[in-house]
This record gives sequence, structure tokens and C-alpha cells, in this order.
Amino acid sequence: MGLSEWGRRLARIFDRDREAAGLAEEMRLHVELRARQLQERGLAPEEAGYAARRRFGNPLAVHDSSAGVWGWNTWERLVQDFSHALRSLSKTPGFTAIAVATLAAGLGMNTAVFSVVNAVMLRRLPYPNPGRLVSLWEEQIKPDRENFNSSGTQAGTAGSLLRTTVSVANIADYAGSGAFAAVASYDRQAANLTGLGTPERIAGEAVTAGFFEVLGVAPVLGRTFTADDDRPGAPLVVVLTHDFWMERLGGDPEALGREVMLDGAPYRVVGVLPARFRSPLQVAYAEDAAEFFVPAAYPKSQLAARGDHDVNVVARLRPGITVAAAQAALETVSAALQKQFPPTNGNFRAVIAPLADDLVHKASGPLWILLAASGLIVLITCVNMADLMLVRAVRRRHESSVRMALGAGRSGLVRQYLAESLVIAAGGCAAGIAVGLVLMKELVAMAPSETPRLAEVSMDWRVFGVAAAVATLTGLAFGLVPAWQASRAQAAEALKTAARGSGTKSQARWRAALTTAEISLSLMLLVGAGLLLRSFMVAMGVDLGFRTERVLAMKIKLPELRYKTADARFAFFRELEERVKPLPGVEAVAFANRMPMRGGWSTGVSVDTAPDQQLDVAAQAISTGYFDTLEIPLLRGRFFTAGDGADAPPVAIVNREFARRYMQDRDPVARRIQRGTNWCRIVGEVNDIRRRGKLDRITPQVYFPAAQTAQYPVLLADLAVRTAGDPRRLVNAIQRQVWALDPDQPVTDVHTMEEIVGELVAENRFEMVLLLVFAGVAVLLATTGMFGVLSYLVSQRTSELGIRVALGASPWRIVMLVLRQAGTWIATGLGLGVAGALALTYYLQALLFQVKRTDPWSYAGAVALLTAVSVAAALIPARRGAKVDPLTALRYE
Amino acid sequence: MRGERDVIPPGTLEMLILTTLASGPAKHGFEVAESILSVSDDVLQVEEGSLYPALQRMLLKGWIRGDWGKTEENRRARFYRLTAEGRKQLEREVERYRRVARAIARVLATA
Repeated sequence: MGLSEWGRRLARIFDRDREAAGLAEEMRLHVELRARQLQERGLAPEEAGYAARRRFGNPLAVHDSSAGVWGWNTWERLVQDFSHALRSLSKTPGFTAIAVATLAAGLGMNTAVFSVVNAVMLRRLPYPNPGRLVSLWEEQIKPDRENFNSSGTQAGTAGSLLRTTVSVANIADYAGSGAFAAVASYDRQAANLTGLGTPERIAGEAVTAGFFEVLGVAPVLGRTFTADDDRPGAPLVVVLTHDFWMERLGGDPEALGREVMLDGAPYRVVGVLPARFRSPLQVAYAEDAAEFFVPAAYPKSQLAARGDHDVNVVARLRPGITVAAAQAALETVSAALQKQFPPTNGNFRAVIAPLADDLVHKASGPLWILLAASGLIVLITCVNMADLMLVRAVRRRHESSVRMALGAGRSGLVRQYLAESLVIAAGGCAAGIAVGLVLMKELVAMAPSETPRLAEVSMDWRVFGVAAAVATLTGLAFGLVPAWQASRAQAAEALKTAARGSGTKSQARWRAALTTAEISLSLMLLVGAGLLLRSFMVAMGVDLGFRTERVLAMKIKLPELRYKTADARFAFFRELEERVKPLPGVEAVAFANRMPMRGGWSTGVSVDTAPDQQLDVAAQAISTGYFDTLEIPLLRGRFFTAGDGADAPPVAIVNREFARRYMQDRDPVARRIQRGTNWCRIVGEVNDIRRRGKLDRITPQVYFPAAQTAQYPVLLADLAVRTAGDPRRLVNAIQRQVWALDPDQPVTDVHTMEEIVGELVAENRFEMVLLLVFAGVAVLLATTGMFGVLSYLVSQRTSELGIRVALGASPWRIVMLVLRQAGTWIATGLGLGVAGALALTYYLQALLFQVKRTDPWSYAGAVALLTAVSVAAALIPARRGAKVDPLTALRYE
Repeated sequence: MRGERDVIPPGTLEMLILTTLASGPAKHGFEVAESILSVSDDVLQVEEGSLYPALQRMLLKGWIRGDWGKTEENRRARFYRLTAEGRKQLEREVERYRRVARAIARVLATA
């Protein structure tokens, strides 16, 4: 199309009235001239006029198609359709309000869930060029064959169960694979901060020199680490977060060069990070509050110990190298290491994944399920809306048929219905986003605090875009059914039946199908919610195996610089125990490396009957009062006593599961287990506990006396107190005793065991509560849909029912007549729903605890509930049908 | 009562209009229709409904121009005439039409 042609086109919109008038004049002249010509040929004047008009055709249509050539018709018609839609919707405010509210509810839920999904999984990581960042970890090739030591907090969770943190000694080899531009490692490191107000234990990270370069982060003040900083024995330096700088140093512009006391040692501040900086660990764990970064400065021993897996690794891919190519390069390196160091590396390989995937991996399962559930809600909303629109279309049959008789094209009617749907969709979209904003805040408040990137949840262009797209699609979807219906209408037939205000058979079929669809969709959501509820209840009923009521636990992490030996640390805790025991209200005191539900670690041991077999078991170093404080019952033998001191022969206690699994369920007392080079005699067997909370599996466990920790060093850190009254009241008294021993020693992580149980429960409650809410909304929508359709059908059959009553049918029979119809839909819907649920719950399995996804109770419950509710919804119109007065009914006809 | 009349084959209406306007004075719509009918010995009848859309299309393309004037009976009417661009277009269309007609004739001859 040439430029001049566009010019002429444009000229015609600006002058369109004159152009249209001209066109009309031309056509009028044409018809007149034709009429005169025919008249001259002998036709009567009147007849000639008719003939000329017939020959010319519908002048409006000709005008339309002539003006259509200008190309502005579509636009004009659109404006017309939408203004008409707006007018007709404003004439039925009740309908419009219900429609917009329904849509807002469905879209709001969907938008809120999607905004969380968006922030957690879709938004780019806060680093430049984040697509090139990968997470690297090590995996055992075969499980349980080789003993290894693993510590450190895993940043990511992708990969298999055999995943471990990385051995520092292997990192140089991986970096040498040629796949990476730069490689860095990092791990959590907490420190006691002193010299700035009350002593406090604060979180930080130990990172290698290249860490900030790999991430692409530059400090706002000073510098980050150099290779010289990252060496054992180098001057101590620290890089602070913006928060630390602002809150603890008051944003001191002279902060660089200041010294900060961490674990009793002075660290010189060399840099301050930007305010929005978040380390990968902080991205992965929303509650992680790292405030400082120190050079990792791995000691020589660690750089040589290929069997110790301690750190996280992040790397930037070399330009042009894909993740797959980098993985291939790593396989070569892993294979070489396996050959070169069989004892430590024989069973390990290095694995990478895009950093973003790795960090959010653990949250993705539940979130996708919630997104799918909210998608189902949108579908149900859509079905409900289609139903509402159908009712509206039926009420407006008369209008439609008159319009059709007056020459409105089918496409015109379809366009009008679609325009109305889209106007409702637009309103629903706006209201839905508003509802979504409220719900989003609720979601964030309710979500488990360990969900990655939770703090970043907000609505951005992507959320708005998806909301608009979903609204438009639903608008088209629910507008299409009545539009299609309208387009099939025959003007004459419609005019005949319109007076009675009833719909056609096909409309009733449509509505029945929609109701069936709603019931089946709701059942799927109900089954999902039911399964989660069952799982939750099962988990609630689980016995932890230890006491949580009135038990207070706190962390007292002694800095290694001041308490250099295990004996010094043990002495501190012994002294503290003696001081806390006589406090009023204290029933029992214990200390250990970790109390249950507060972390802990595992170790490799072997049993005397199979000394070659290395077993990976949970290991705890505990004080003599541990089992008494947590009320863990003794099954055989004895507890540790004061006699099991540092100089006494090494002893151990195992749990029931250990004896069952590794000692053929025989009496473990007097048998021996080996840890490192120490042989310990087993002196007792205690009952199993679920260390990590209600959802934990029962695993083999070994307890060692804390007094013998020098022989198998485990850092003591947790103190637990069983109290007579409210445990919270004792917090200050205990803290004072700690400070009496060491005024620089902070006490952190003070929680009652009950609080911890509550937090762990909250994580599972999140998905359950959401699915329950979704299912509730779905059932509500489905039953109102059902109610609407049946009421309509009954009103349509009023005369028939009246005749039946007149002929002597009992009210009961009439009710059954109506219910039978509803029963077919309910049964079909339930059948489809069960089939759908069986397919969809496959994705739910990972969230279920000791409940199979085919759990008959959940299915039966969902079916029973939905049947009851929908039959109740059907009963109201059915009873109305039974009350039909035959006289009125016949007169109505 | 009247002889056999054929509807104008699709795609040729514009060519016929161009031909009609190529000779003689500028014509208004009715004259264009009548002219096509009479020149074709009353065989080709213009679908009157499609005449005006075609004229509008050709105006947009710049093949013809329309100027308002008065008929003999002093009625306002738009008189169409060919532009230079329209003349070229006519040549192209006639050439194309001849090519197609010859080809069809050859096919028919072999039948």
C-alpha cells in the first residue's frame, strides 16, 4: 500500500461525515435515475421505484461496504459495540455486579498466587547477567557406600538426595575444567559481635576472594576481597552489608578502616555492599540475615581434605559455554578425580544447574500446585460466567430476535455478546487485581518463612500482563457460548418462543454441561484439599517421641578463639548447668550440640559385627540430663552418668531404630561401635524420636556423652531447660547466668520447643489452607451454578409440572422428577472429577505425609460433601416445582 | 422479455470501469453502469451493489478521481475520470486479461 493511498485513507477519517454524505447522495441519484429509466420504459411510477430499489439492493449494506473500503469500519464498529455493551450492562447493574464480583474473586486468587510464583520463580536473580550463573555441588554416585564428612548449609536444593556440599580441595580442579569464567565458594558463618552495644550473635558468610566478582556485585564503599585477603594468617578484614553499616555504624562515612570485633578478634572494615545486595543464601532462605562477609581463607588442611564436603559453589559460565557443555566438561574432571583419589573421590561427581533453578527448587513444587489450583478456580469462574451469560442471553432472546429480524447480521450479534463479555472481563480484571493485592499480602504473611525470595513478592508488569491476558481469555471463553447460541438462533423461531422467556433445548444442554464441568472441577480441588487435610491431621497426630511442653531451648555458640579446646567449652556448659539448675521453676537442664528440631548432623560409624561397613547416622553429643529433660524413655541398659567422663572408657547410646536396622533387632547393650579411631561401648538403648519434627522419618541415631567430646569433637551449642511454669519467664534469668560466666557471650535462637513445632506445622498448613479456601470457593460457585440452572429449568417446566400436579402427581414425585435430572449431572460431574483428581493428585504426592494420593477417605469425603451440597442446592428449586399451583401454571401458559 | 444477461465475471469489474472511463467525458455512477451494459450489447449487467464499493476502492488506489459537478438536470453528482496511474493500471489489466483469455482459448481449442 503506497504512501499516497494511506494519505487518502487518513483524509477519509477526518472528513468522514462529508464523504459518507457524498456517497449517500450518489447512491440516491443512482436509484432515482434507474427509476426514471424504468418509468420511461412503461412501468408505473410506484412500481418503477420498487424495482429500482430492489435492483440496487440494501442501500445501507451498499453504503457500509463502500465505506468499508476506507478501512475504518472495524474500528468504528468496535467503538459502537463497546459503547452498546456498556450501556446494556449499566441497565442491569445487579447482573453486572455479580458477574464482575465472581470474576474478581477468581482472578484475584489467581493473580495473588501468580505474583508469588513470579517473584519466587520467574523473576531474574538480582545479579547482572544471572542466566550465566550456575550452582555447583557434589553428588554420591552410589548411596551409603562410602563414609564422608559433610557440613555447611546447602544453598540450593536441586539434584538428588545424594547431593552434598562441595569439598574445598576439589574446587580448583572444577575451575580448571575450562567451562567457567570464574568460580567462588561460600558458606554461612555466624560470629559473636562485641564492642557495639550488647553482645550479639550475628549471621555472616565466609566467601572466597572471587565471590563478589562472580556475582557481579561492586561495593558502594571501599573494596571487596583480594586473593591476599583470602589466605590463612592474612590480616583480618570484613565487608559489611548496607544494613550493618547503617544500623550498627550509623552510616559512618569513615567506616572504612574501622575495626569490628567478631568472635573476639578485630576485623578491619574494607568495604560496604549496596543496599539491595542479597547473597545466594539469602535468596534461597528469605529469613537469612547475613550482615557481614569475611574471607574464607581455607587452611591448608582443608585444602587437602578431599573427603570433607563443606562449602557451596557458585560459578559464572565462560562466554559461549552452555550448562550442558559445562556439565560435560565437569564429568571429565570428576572421572579423573575418581581415578586419582579413589578413597575420597571414587563415589563423587560434580553437578551444576542454573543458580536460579537451584535456589528456588524447594519452593517450586508446592507453588506450581497452588498455581494449578488457582487455574482450576479461574476455569470454574469461567464456567460460572458462561452460565450467567447464557441466562442473560435467554432473557434477551426477544431483543436479539427483533434485532435479527431488522437485519442485524449474525456476526453483529456475536460481536455484541463478545463485547459485553470483554467489558465484564475488563471490570473483573481491574477488581481482580485489587483483590489480588490484598490476597497477595495475606499469602506472603501466611507462607512459610523459609520460602525463597518471599520479601521480593510484589506486582509487576508480568503479573499485570498475566492478569489481563487471563481476563481477556476468560472473557472470550465465557462470551463465546452465548454468542454462539445467539448466532444459531432463527429470527422467526426466536420471535415465536421469545414471548415465553424460555430458552431452547440446546441452551439447557449447554447449561447442564457447564454445571457438570463445575462439579467435576470442584471435586478435583476438594480431593486435593482433602488429601492435604488428611496428611496434616496424620502429621498432627504423630508422636515426636520427646517432650515439647514447657521446654525452652537456646543457642550459646562459644567462639573458638576464646574457648580453644573441647574441654574448655565443656567446662563452660557444666558450670552453666550448675548455675541454671537451682533457679526457681527449673525442673531439668541439659546441653547438647543441638537440641531436636534445631539442626544437628550425621556421622559415619561402623558396628563391631561389620567393621568394614560405614553407616551414616545422626550423632549428638549430650549432657547427662538430656534424656531426662526431653523425657525420652530408656528401653535397655542405662543413661550416661557423671562417671562417663573424659577419662572414662568411651561409651555411646543408640536408639531403637539403630538396633533394629544395624543389629538385627537384638540387644545392643555391650556391643561396640567405632567412630573415627574410637571404639565406644554401647551402654543403653533409647526410644526413637523424630528429630526434625513431625514429618521426619525415624532414622538410626547415636548419642555420645558431652564429657567425652574431646575424643570425637562435636561443638556444643544448645541449652535446654524443662520448667514448671511458663518457660518464657526464665529467659532473662538464664541469660543473666550466661553473662555472669562471660559478659561477652550472646544467647540466640531462644524458642520454646512448642514454638518450633508450631513453625514447622505452619509450613505444611500453608498449602493446605490455600487449597481448602480454593476448594470452598469452587464448591460455592458450583452449587450456585447448579441452583441457577435448576431454578431456570423448573420455571421453564412450570406448566408441565402444573399438569402433572393436576393429574394427581404427589409433591414427592415432582421433587424426584427434578432431582433425577440434577442427579445425572451430579453423577457425571463426580465421575469426571474423580478421574481428573486421580490424574492430577500425582503432582500432589510429594506434599503428602503418610497418606497415599489415592486415599479412599479423601475421595469419599469429597464426593459425599459435594453430593450433599449440590443435592441441597437442587432441592430448593425442586420443592418450588412441587408447590406449583396447577391453575396458575395453566393460566401462565 | 429481456435477453440473456450475464453477471460480470469476478475480478473484471474494475477493468470494465477503467475502460468505460478511458474514453469520452467523465461519468457518474449510473452512467458507468449503463455504459458497461450498452457497450456490451446489453450482455454485461453491473451488480449495482458492488459498483460503489469498487469505485471507492479505485478512488483510494488513485486510479480514478471523482469531482462533484452537475448533471444535465442540474443534479449534484460525482463525475469520475481516469488518472495517469489509472491508465497504466488499465493497460496492465487488459494485458493480463488478454493473456488469460488467450490461454483459455488455447485450452478450449484442444478440447
